[in-house]
Parts: sequence; C-alpha cells; structure tokens
Amino acid sequence: MKANERGILSSYDLKKPSVRWGYILMYLIIAVMMCCMVYPILISMLNGFKLNKEVNSFPPTFWPNEWHFENYTKAWNYIDLPFYFKNTMFVFFGNMIITVLVLGLAAYALSKMLVPFKSAIYYYFLMTLFIPATTYMIPSFINLKDLGLMGSFAAVWLPAGANAFFLLLLKTFIDGIHVEIFESARIDGASEWRAFFQIAFPLSIPIFATLAIFVFATAWNDWFWPSFILSQDNKPLSVAIRDFVLNARRLDMNIKFAILTLVMIPPIILFLFFQKFILRGLYLGGVKG
Amino acid sequence: MEQTPAVPVVNAKPQKQRSRKLNRYMWGLLFLLPAIVTFTLFLWLPIFKGVLNSFYNVDFVKGNTFIGFDNYRTIFSDGVVLIAVKNTLYYMGLALVIGFWVPIFFALAISEMRRFQGFARVAAYLPYVVPFVVLYGVWRWLYDPIGPINAALGKIGIDQINFISDRSWSMISIVIMETWQSFGSAMLIYLAAVLSVPRDWYEAAEIDGAGIWQRIRHITLPAISGQIILLLMLQLISTSQGFQTHFAMLDGGPNNATLTYALHIVKYAFVRIDYGVASALGVLMFFVLSILAVIQYRINNKGGTNL
Repeated sequence: MKANERGILSSYDLKKPSVRWGYILMYLIIAVMMCCMVYPILISMLNGFKLNKEVNSFPPTFWPNEWHFENYTKAWNYIDLPFYFKNTMFVFFGNMIITVLVLGLAAYALSKMLVPFKSAIYYYFLMTLFIPATTYMIPSFINLKDLGLMGSFAAVWLPAGANAFFLLLLKTFIDGIHVEIFESARIDGASEWRAFFQIAFPLSIPIFATLAIFVFATAWNDWFWPSFILSQDNKPLSVAIRDFVLNARRLDMNIKFAILTLVMIPPIILFLFFQKFILRGLYLGGVKG
Repeated sequence: MEQTPAVPVVNAKPQKQRSRKLNRYMWGLLFLLPAIVTFTLFLWLPIFKGVLNSFYNVDFVKGNTFIGFDNYRTIFSDGVVLIAVKNTLYYMGLALVIGFWVPIFFALAISEMRRFQGFARVAAYLPYVVPFVVLYGVWRWLYDPIGPINAALGKIGIDQINFISDRSWSMISIVIMETWQSFGSAMLIYLAAVLSVPRDWYEAAEIDGAGIWQRIRHITLPAISGQIILLLMLQLISTSQGFQTHFAMLDGGPNNATLTYALHIVKYAFVRIDYGVASALGVLMFFVLSILAVIQYRINNKGGTNL
C-alpha cells in the first residue's frame, strides 16, 4: 500500500491485533448503522405486500408470508395520486421559474451590472437571512390573506422569489464568471436581457441545477406550510398524504404502507440516479443546513 | 462587487456618456425590481406586520383593534409558555446529546473504510430523501407498542416501552427519529472535511510516535473544528425553531410533553385563532434567536468556511 493511501490508520497500525479488532468492530458498527438506515424503508415496502393481519401481528415479520401484489393497486386507487402529484409538480415548476426570473436576474444585476446603491440593496436582501422564519410565520400567513393570495398557487410561487440564501448562492456563482464575456457582448450590441438569458443563464446551469434539487425537495417534502395556504384543489402530494393517509382512521395498515412506499420511491430513485449532483449541491447547501 | 466597464468610451461626449450610464442604471434597477418587490412584500412586510400585530387584537372580520401590551401580558401570565420554553430547551439539549456526535463519529469511521465507502455514504444519506410525511407514518408503526423496536427489545429482555405515549420517552423518540433522518447530510459535510486533511500529517505524527487517539484528537478534530462549530450553530438555530415533527407525530402531547415554543405559536394561531398573541410570541422569539444568528454570522465570516 502506498503511503498516500493511508487514512488516520496506516497499514502498520492494522497489523497490531488490538487495532485490528477495533477496526473490525468499526466496520460492524457501520454495518449496523446501514441496516438501521435501510430497515425502515425496506420494511414499509414489504409491509405493503402483507395481509393487514400480518402487519399487525406481534412480533412483526420481515418477509411477507404471502405476497399480495393487489395491495399496491388498491393503494394507487385509494386517493387520486396523479392529481396530487400534478399539484406538487405545479409547485415545483412555478417555484423554479420564479427562482430563475426573480433571483437569477437580481443576482446577475448585483454581480455584473451598474446599479446605484448596490450594496444597500444587497444588504436589504441578505438581512432577511438573520431573521428566523418561524418568528414571522404567523404574520406571513396573515399577510398572504391580506394580499388575497390565500389558497392559490401564487401564495407559494411568489414568496419563492424572496429567498436570500438562493440569491447568495447565485450571486457567488455569477461572480465567478469573467466580466469580459459580458463586456464584449455589450460592445457587440447585446441587450442586458440577452446577456442574461444567452450568456449568464447558460453558464450558471450548474448552480441552477443545484437549486432545482433544493426546490424539488421542498416541493415534495413540505407539508406544514402548504396545508395552511393552499386550498383543497391545490393540495400537493405531501399534504394529501398527511390528511388522507396518516390521519385516516379506517385505513388498513398494509394499504397505508403501500401508499407510503409509492410516495417515497420517486425521490429515492431520483436520488440514486443523480447522487453525484445532489451530494455536490449538499456541500453548497450545507452552510444553511 | 463593483465592475467597471473594460472598454471606456473615449471619444463620446460627456452628455452622451451620462445618458448611457443612466440607461445602464435603468436596466440594473429593472433587473432588481422583481426581487425588491418580492422581498418587500413577502419578507419585510410580514416581519413588520408581526411587530405591529403584536400590539393589536387581530380580527379578520371586525378589523384590528389596538390593545397595547395586552398580548404580551397574556403571554407572561400563560403558564404553558414556560412549559413550552422548557420543552424547547430540553429538545435542543437532547438533540445535542443524542444527535450531535453521531455524524462526527460516522464521518471518522467511514473515512477509514477501505472498501464499500460509497455504500455507507448512500445508506447514511438515504433517509434524508424520504419525505417527512412518509417518515411520520413509518415511525409511528416502528415505535408502536407492538412494533419492531419493542419486539427487538423484548428479545433481549427489556420491558415494553411506550415510545410515543410515555411522557418521559416521547421527546427522546422524536430526537432519535430526527437524528436517524438527518444525520447523513451533516455526516457528508464532516466526511469531506476529514478526507481533505493531508495524509502526510498522519504519517509525520505516526513517525513521531502519536497513537491513533492522539492523531484523531490533535490532527483530525482540529482540522474539522470549523465545520463542527458551524454545524453546531446551525443545529441550535434549527432545533430552537423545531415543531413540525412534534406537531405531526404527537400534536404536542402527551400532556404537553412535546409542546415546543414554535408549536405553541402555531397552536395560538390556528387552534385558539389568536393571531395577536401568536405574533407577539414570534417577536419575543426573534429577540432570543437573533443573538444566535449573529453569533453564527460572526463564526461564518471569521472561519471563512465555504461562502
């Protein structure tokens, strides 16, 4: 083993029996951790195949005694999943368009254009990062009501443009693009509009892709806020699951698990496919947590 | 960042230059306008309305009436607020004791893996992509008196634990669940930091006779201390505002055992329909949390980590 292939431990350390046992123990602990991580996800998938009686039996079984594939058909038909899925996608695409148009343009202007009182405007945006969202959660709700947006998708879309953290990420990225590109475009007669859409936006695709991951995760996961501000017809999937599945009184456990499985599979598949991009985005987003 | 044009306009008359500059100013402002409007309407307006509403009795039908400090008086005479503050502090403390070391420990352990490192990373992060609503459903069953955790405990001879309905366990159950769900992302941040420590340092330390623990204590931990402090602050900021899991899993119960401060705000607003008191609670919370936020900002800037 080459010298640079070591970690904290070297291959010399591993020859000592005490270290070796510790190393094996460490692998074991990691294996246990991995099982704990995967078990709840696997068991919900498998519970979806069991008879309701088997799910409620004690002690619980891992593999189903008989495979009941029809549970998933029942689960699919229990609530109108495609309808709520459509709403979730509406939230996602709307938020994304607003992010590009509002925050993208603003970040570009702050980074590459002449603006009077630039730093004052920048601080006007960034100051909002210091005010925890929970403290003005209720006033936001009243505010949306006052503005007459309550219930419509606009109540989710428009506030998506007020995200100082995304603005910060975008501006930092656009700062890294050489200013000469824009100068030569301007000399060639390109309008600022074209400079943004034909140069700045295509060059910033990596950061927009990262933001798209965040926005998607929010659209798919967020249930609390949408449950208060979106009307029945505009409910996203997460809210529908909470209202009709989690809080349902007369729903068999096996069907419940089948529905939950159907809802968690798309993001898991997306994650496994786009792992590299998602994890890279995580390091950027890590600052915000 | 100020950017000056690379090619100055040399021959143009001053007047023309000024109008061009005005033109450029106009475009810049035009590009910023949507953001200024949304930030004003959806962030600053609610923030100021919150302060304002805390002095009013908010009524959507009859209109607001000014009542001075009555909302604040209500809060200080409400004994449940004290319980909520205690619960929030307890929750923050538990999240540190149960959750904070887990990602550091696994980042160190996984960085030492010579094989299957990728699998371990993916497995640790996997729960993070499962939607919250699904987790609530799954964990309610896992924590059930006849669920798998109690079955496993029964096998090693431990009596049944009512994770959800036992007052002394309910908060711990929530913290365990949240740690399980979210430690993966913190772990990956630590892991990146641990892996970026130059290997030669360990080599040199080993030659000088440093043991394994000494290497971790004197090389690895100092190298990731920036991330540790950063994530500590972020965890404190997020747990001090935590309420969604408490709300969805237990609705603040049993008997207010998981009623956090933020959840109390939500309850004042949407159960008692008293938006004035809810706004006042938010204002009080702001004063406490802004201290945390400022500390985090200073650390962030001093350490120069990331952004």
